[in-house]
Amino acid sequence: MSTADGSANTDGIRLLTIRDLSVEIWRGDRIVRPVRGVSLALDRGETLGIVGETGSGKSMTGLAIMGMLPAGGRITAGSIDLDGRELVGLPAARYRAIRGNDVAMVFQDSMTALNPTKRIGEQVAEPVRLHRGASKREARARAEEMLALVGLPRPAERLDDFPHQLSGGMRQRVMIAMALVCEPRLVIADEPTTALDVTVQAEILDLLDDLRSRLGMSMILVTHDMGVIARHADRVGVMYAGRVAETGPTSELFARTRHRYTQALLSSIPSLTQDRREELFSIPGAPPDLTVVQAGCPFAPRCAAATDRCRAELPPPVTEAGGHVHSCWHPAEGPAARTRARLVVPAPAGSGPTASEPTGSGPTASGPAGSGSTASGPRLRVVDLRREHPAGGAGLFGGRRTVKAVSGVSFEVAAGETFGLVGESGCGKSSLGRMLVALDRPTSGEVIFDGEPVTRMSARALGPRRTELQMMFQDSNASLDPRMRIGAILREPLAIQGVGTRAQRTARARELLRDVGLPASVLERYPHELSGGQRQRVGLARALALDPKVLVADEPVSALDVSIRSQVLNLMRRVQLERGLSSVVISHDLAVVRYLADRVGVMYLGKLVETGTTDEVYGSAAHPYTAGLLAAIPEADPGAPRAPAAARVRGEPPSPVDPPSGCRFRTRCALATALCAQEEPPLTPVTGTHHVACHHPLGREESRS
Amino acid sequence: MTWYVLRRLAVSLLVLLGISAVVFLMLHLVSDSPGRVVLGQRASPEAVADFNREHGFDRPVVAQYVGYLGRLLQGDLGRSYKLNEDVGTLLARNAGRSAMVSLAGLVLALLIAVPLGILQAVRRNSVVDRVATAASYVLYATPSFLLGLLLIAVFSQTIPIFPAEASQSHSPWVVFTDPRAMALPVITLAVTSIAVFAQYQRSAALDQLGQDYIRVARAKGLPERLILTRHLLRNACLPLVMLVGTLVPTLLAGNLIVESLFNYPGLGLLFLNSLQREDYPVLLAYTLIGGVLTVAGNFVADVVVAAADRRIELSA
Repeated sequence: MSTADGSANTDGIRLLTIRDLSVEIWRGDRIVRPVRGVSLALDRGETLGIVGETGSGKSMTGLAIMGMLPAGGRITAGSIDLDGRELVGLPAARYRAIRGNDVAMVFQDSMTALNPTKRIGEQVAEPVRLHRGASKREARARAEEMLALVGLPRPAERLDDFPHQLSGGMRQRVMIAMALVCEPRLVIADEPTTALDVTVQAEILDLLDDLRSRLGMSMILVTHDMGVIARHADRVGVMYAGRVAETGPTSELFARTRHRYTQALLSSIPSLTQDRREELFSIPGAPPDLTVVQAGCPFAPRCAAATDRCRAELPPPVTEAGGHVHSCWHPAEGPAARTRARLVVPAPAGSGPTASEPTGSGPTASGPAGSGSTASGPRLRVVDLRREHPAGGAGLFGGRRTVKAVSGVSFEVAAGETFGLVGESGCGKSSLGRMLVALDRPTSGEVIFDGEPVTRMSARALGPRRTELQMMFQDSNASLDPRMRIGAILREPLAIQGVGTRAQRTARARELLRDVGLPASVLERYPHELSGGQRQRVGLARALALDPKVLVADEPVSALDVSIRSQVLNLMRRVQLERGLSSVVISHDLAVVRYLADRVGVMYLGKLVETGTTDEVYGSAAHPYTAGLLAAIPEADPGAPRAPAAARVRGEPPSPVDPPSGCRFRTRCALATALCAQEEPPLTPVTGTHHVACHHPLGREESRS
Repeated sequence: MTWYVLRRLAVSLLVLLGISAVVFLMLHLVSDSPGRVVLGQRASPEAVADFNREHGFDRPVVAQYVGYLGRLLQGDLGRSYKLNEDVGTLLARNAGRSAMVSLAGLVLALLIAVPLGILQAVRRNSVVDRVATAASYVLYATPSFLLGLLLIAVFSQTIPIFPAEASQSHSPWVVFTDPRAMALPVITLAVTSIAVFAQYQRSAALDQLGQDYIRVARAKGLPERLILTRHLLRNACLPLVMLVGTLVPTLLAGNLIVESLFNYPGLGLLFLNSLQREDYPVLLAYTLIGGVLTVAGNFVADVVVAAADRRIELSA
């Protein structure tokens, strides 16, 4: 592996060589150029990670190798050489013989990637029948063998299952079995774990690694997650705006990051060791428009080190020792600077709640946060909140089966404090969030806001109170009315509550946009004209329009790319500090919650299993589930010590329709005993502010190791 | 699956009970004195009252309804005021004929619309697609009586290959025994449906073509033809199955026009004539049968879709 443009294929080690690949797609009257002169190489038995943000061309490169470009797409230049065979320009029939046989693909979302009306056995067996001409029985036997290999329990019984009968993780295993059933030489995994929870993600990636070495395949891992790359790729290609910014062996690339974009990207990732008093590093601006051909380096408009030369001339690939190639006129030296960022601006002096305190124990009007037993009480108090939905069609004669979404959650949020809720999908954190802002009513329990139980108010009494309880949604694309201009969207809450005249409302909308860092011209725009990051800023501005006292943010940055994510996170942190808001941040991303929250609650199957200050929960996790979640996160550092397999959480969450008896986590817990099945552990204090619901809490030393 | 079917069945029966009550009440409101209808405008009020008392039409409406329901359960649909014949026998004689014509039209429509819709989806925005879509809109906007008249004008008058009147045979198998005489009614029925079905099938197929499992099938190396038959067809037909189920009664209503246009003695023609004769027992029975067909159509569609798509069981 001497160079990335891979002229060397002498020793037969090289499996795939992509040289100067360019793709264009006709969309109506516009031409999009998602891939522009990409050169990458892959050796036998190796994993090449292609990393990049939305629109970087990483998926399109994968599809080009498969010969499966979308309608209107074609390869305009370059070559794809698979083991000495040129794939560009191959006739359709001969390409089909390669697809699923020599090159296979694992897709992102196994829910839609499996045919809902066909049994999984048939789906896995299909490529064998097609490419090997196997009989129905032979193919079925092979499918069973393959399903066993990917770790599907009792494969013989599952062959006749339909996809919906399997959990998300199991479906992804079936998807992998389907791709690997003909033992391809190359497998392209396009965001194979993005739709999965972090604990399941770790298992699936390990499985892919294991199968790759056992079956002697090569793999291309397409992902946006630098952590996944650091842990699972031998070689990395960093893509930006359809070009390869930098490529080289993983350890080399992380240790000596050369391209300015790679360096900025690595710096923007909120890590679990990020100092919460520092602002996150963020890349200004947004990725370029792929329909425009611009001169110079595509990253130049967002690059701090850009010069006139960068804007005028495209930097050519420069090869350094060890096969490290970068395209940058002003390459950086040394490893990426991880924590060189400015301090957060403290709140203006004299504003009510002091917000510069990093922990939740700052002096507030209601005394120390977390204790909440003083006369004035906390701003928001949740008492034994429960929410059960009927499970599917409990029709006329259906049994009374219910999904226990939230099962007895209690916590408090002081004025000016941020409470973080973390947990995997389906743990009830979003159901809880909706009840906090009275968008949904609980089955039992109370949400008490400033001493008043919102959960028991009539709709009429609730109306004016809603101004003080606001919500920021995950998907700003779906939560902003597509037919309303941004100005109207921001004025609407004010109009509903009868605040000011129309002119005053417009002035307020302008002010709000300024607060979230958007120009006033955005007022006249429609949501679809904005980028994802801009829309999410509008979502925050709308939530702030009525000057709420409590802000609930449900997965505020999950839909955003890394470089945009840190911009929004910084903004949210600044707004929290400046306004003295009480907020609840809900996320599956532990790093996001750690950065935003003073105190954290970890949810599992509708229950809080651990609460405490952020430092307590992340620094000395007492619940095995919390420790397992932390261990499952891949750090964007190939040198980071990998958590021992024993610390991982195994399997997938059980159904919230029939939660396990006793401790709900016991079915996945390495420490579970008979006691855990009989008795449900209550939340008990570890220290003053740190509580855990576990019969066998981890000691400080154990959780560190 | 069994549970699901039983539950759906129970719900269907409840819906039917509701329909019968509402229809009975409505006809009672329109005409609460059948004696006047049967005996005519010139009969004396005493004679009318006597008739009503004799046949129980003076009782409270609830009692009349319960009585009607009781007779209904024994298979007695009442007696026609004007034809002096059992309504059940009357309907049974005409129902088979109507059903056969409807079914022939439906099958013909599906045979053309399903492949056409899928072809349109696969060749989206091509000339074929645009022409078919335009034709669909024109046909969809054309009332069936106009279409029928045009067909008669062209294929019966200008080029006399088909007769303008449908077969008057009493056999329900007339579609097969005398296809030439039945061609125009069946074609009229089919053409209107083809427009709806093809557009529906097209959008359902487009939805499915955008799904990842189609890409996966391509990634397996399947040729396009097999992707369509093995993976697309079944998923893309599910919405149409649902639609056809709910359309069964509409087909009967379509018969109303087509049957009177071609003077075909089916249920539609009977209903139309009964309406003119104020023959309420026949109208009541016809409406009820419409309700039964609607509910049964939905029920069958639900079960077929649940059998084809096993995800339904969880969420219904």
